Amino acid sequence: MGSEILGVVLRRILVAIPLMLVVSVLVFVVLRLIPADPVSMAVPPNATAEEVEAVRREMGLHLPIAQQYVIWLGQVVQGDFGRSIAFGQPVLKLIGQSLPATIELAALAAILATVIGLVGGLVMFRLRGGPGEGPADLSSILIMSVPEFLWALFLILLFGVAFNLLPFAGRLGPGQSAPAITGFLLLDCILTGRFGTLASALEHMILPAVALALGTAPLIMRVLRSSLLEVIHEDYIVMARLRGVPERRVITRHAFKNAFLPTLTLMGVQFGFLFGGTLLVEVIYSYPGLGNMMVEAVRNTDLPIIQGAALIYALAVMSINLAVDIAYILLNPKLRASQ
Amino acid sequence: MTGRFAPARWPRPLRSARVLVGGGIVLSVLLCAIFAPLIAPYDPNAQDLLNTLLPPAWMEGGNPDFLLGTDNLGQDTLSRLIYGARVAMVVAIVAALGAMLLGTTLALVAGYFGGVVDWLISRAVDLWMSFPPVVLSLILIVGFGVGLSNVILAIVLVDWTRFCRVVRSEVLVVRRYDYIDAARLAGFSHLRTLMREVLPAVAPLIITLVSLEMAIALIVEAILSFVGMSVEANIPAWGVMIADARKYMYQTVWGLVLPILAIVVTVIGFNLLGDGLRRTLDPKLLQRETVAA
Repeated sequence: MGSEILGVVLRRILVAIPLMLVVSVLVFVVLRLIPADPVSMAVPPNATAEEVEAVRREMGLHLPIAQQYVIWLGQVVQGDFGRSIAFGQPVLKLIGQSLPATIELAALAAILATVIGLVGGLVMFRLRGGPGEGPADLSSILIMSVPEFLWALFLILLFGVAFNLLPFAGRLGPGQSAPAITGFLLLDCILTGRFGTLASALEHMILPAVALALGTAPLIMRVLRSSLLEVIHEDYIVMARLRGVPERRVITRHAFKNAFLPTLTLMGVQFGFLFGGTLLVEVIYSYPGLGNMMVEAVRNTDLPIIQGAALIYALAVMSINLAVDIAYILLNPKLRASQ
Repeated sequence: MTGRFAPARWPRPLRSARVLVGGGIVLSVLLCAIFAPLIAPYDPNAQDLLNTLLPPAWMEGGNPDFLLGTDNLGQDTLSRLIYGARVAMVVAIVAALGAMLLGTTLALVAGYFGGVVDWLISRAVDLWMSFPPVVLSLILIVGFGVGLSNVILAIVLVDWTRFCRVVRSEVLVVRRYDYIDAARLAGFSHLRTLMREVLPAVAPLIITLVSLEMAIALIVEAILSFVGMSVEANIPAWGVMIADARKYMYQTVWGLVLPILAIVVTVIGFNLLGDGLRRTLDPKLLQRETVAA
C-alpha cells in the first residue's frame, strides 16, 4: 500500500505543477484587466504625474503583461511574492501570519462537518421507510439551502446578540495574548500549557466553525444515506443478516464501510469548498485569517496580496484533494486486498 | 412527497409538492421583482432621517407607515426587499442560463467527440475546480470591475463547470446508445445528431441543474454585494442590506433578519424546485454530482 500511496502522491504532484502554472497565469492576466489603477493606491493623493510614473516603473507595471508575469513568476519560485501595496510588508510574511488561523478554522470545521454528516447520514438511513423519512429529507434540504455565510450571521444573532453566550469577533478575548511558536494558535497554547488562552481561542472558533460545518454537513448526510441505500441490497448484507448479525452492526460494520467510499470522494470536493467558505466567514467574524486579508486586499486593490492569496487557496484545494486520495487508498478494502 | 396534489392528467412534475411549493416561491419573488414599482410603498432609496432603524410595524416602537421597519438612513425595508428581488432574480436567471449555455455546449462537444477536445475541456474543468468558487469570482470581479453585467459574467465564468462535469458524463453514456449510431447512419450531421438526439436525452438533467444553479448564483451575488463588490451603491440588493444592517444589529436585528430570510426563502424555492424536478424527470441522476454552494 505504501508504494500505491507514493504513486498517487507523485502523480498528483506532477499534475499539480502545470496546473498551478496555468492558475498563476489565469490569476495574473485577470487581475491585469483591472479598471482601477493599482499605482493610485501606492502614491499620496497629491503626487505629480512624474511621481506616479516613477512608482509605476518601480512596480514594473509599465512592462508588457507577459514580461511582468515572467518577472513575477521568477520571484515567486524563489519565495518572493512581492510587497503589499497597502501595508508595505512582504506578502509571504502576511500570508504566513494569517494562513495558520485559516487552516485551524477549516480543520475544526471539517471535523465538525464529518461528525455531523456521518451521524446524520446514518440517522437518515435508519429513518428510511418510516414516518420520519419525509421530514428528515426535507429538513436536510432546508439546512442545505442556507449558505455558510448566512449561518454565520444567524449564529451571531442567536448566540452573540440574543443570548450573549459566545464571543464572535477576533481570535482571543481582551487581555489575552497569543503565544507564538508555530503560528498555529491552538497548538501553541497546548505547547506552552496556557489552557486559559486555549479555552478562549476555542470559544472564539466555535461559531465560525459551526457555521462552516452546517454549510457542508447536509450534503455529506444525503450522499451517505443514498450510498447506504445502494449497498443495503448487496448479497453480503443479506448474508450478514442471515448469519444473525444484529442490524445495528450490519449497518455500522458492513454497509457503512462500503458506502463510505463514495461519501469520501464527495467530502474531498466539499472540503475544498469549505476552505473557500472560510473567506466570508472570517470577514463576518473579524477572524484574522487569509480570507479576511484577501477581502481587505480586494477593497484596497492590493494586487500582490490578491495574487499570493489566490495561489495559496488553489494550493490548499489541491492539497485537500491529495489528502482525500490518500485516505481513499487507505480505506478501500479492494486496494488493501491486492497487497 | 410526490403525492397527488394535483389532477392525474397534469404533467408529472406538476404533481409533485416540491415542484409546486418551490415553483410558487420562485414565481412570487419573480412577480415582486417585475412589479416592484407597483408593489413597493416607497422609493427604495428615499431617506427619512426622522424614522431611522425602526422595527417592523407590529413591534413595540414600530411605525405603521413602515410595515417592516427602516434602516439606518430611514429607508423603507419592505421597499428595499422588493426592489432587491430585481438584482437577485436577474442574476439568478441570466447567470444560470449563461452558465448552462457555456457548460452544456462544452459538455456536448467534449462528450460527443471525445479525443483531444474532450481532454482539453476536461483539463479546463479540473483547473477551474482547483479554485474555491468564491475566491475565483472575487478575483474575476476585481479584474472586471463592479456592476450587474460583470457580476453575471463572473458567475457564468465560474459556474459553467458545474454543468460541464455532470452533463459530459451523461453524454458519454448516451453516445453509446444505438439510436445515436442509427441517426448517424441515417445521414444526420454531427450538429443535427447532437441537437436532435443527444440534447433531448440530457435535457431533464439540464433543467434540474439550471434550477439548482439559480440558487447558487443568487448566493454568490449576495456574497459579492455583502463585501461591496457587486452592483453600484444606489441599487438595492439583499447582500448590501445585510452588510449595512450588520453595523446596527445591537439597535435592531430586523434589518439583518429580513434580508437573510429573503435569501433563504428564495434559495429554498429554487432548491425545492430543482429537487422536485430531479425526482420527477429522472430518478437516477445527480445524487453525487450536484454540489451545493
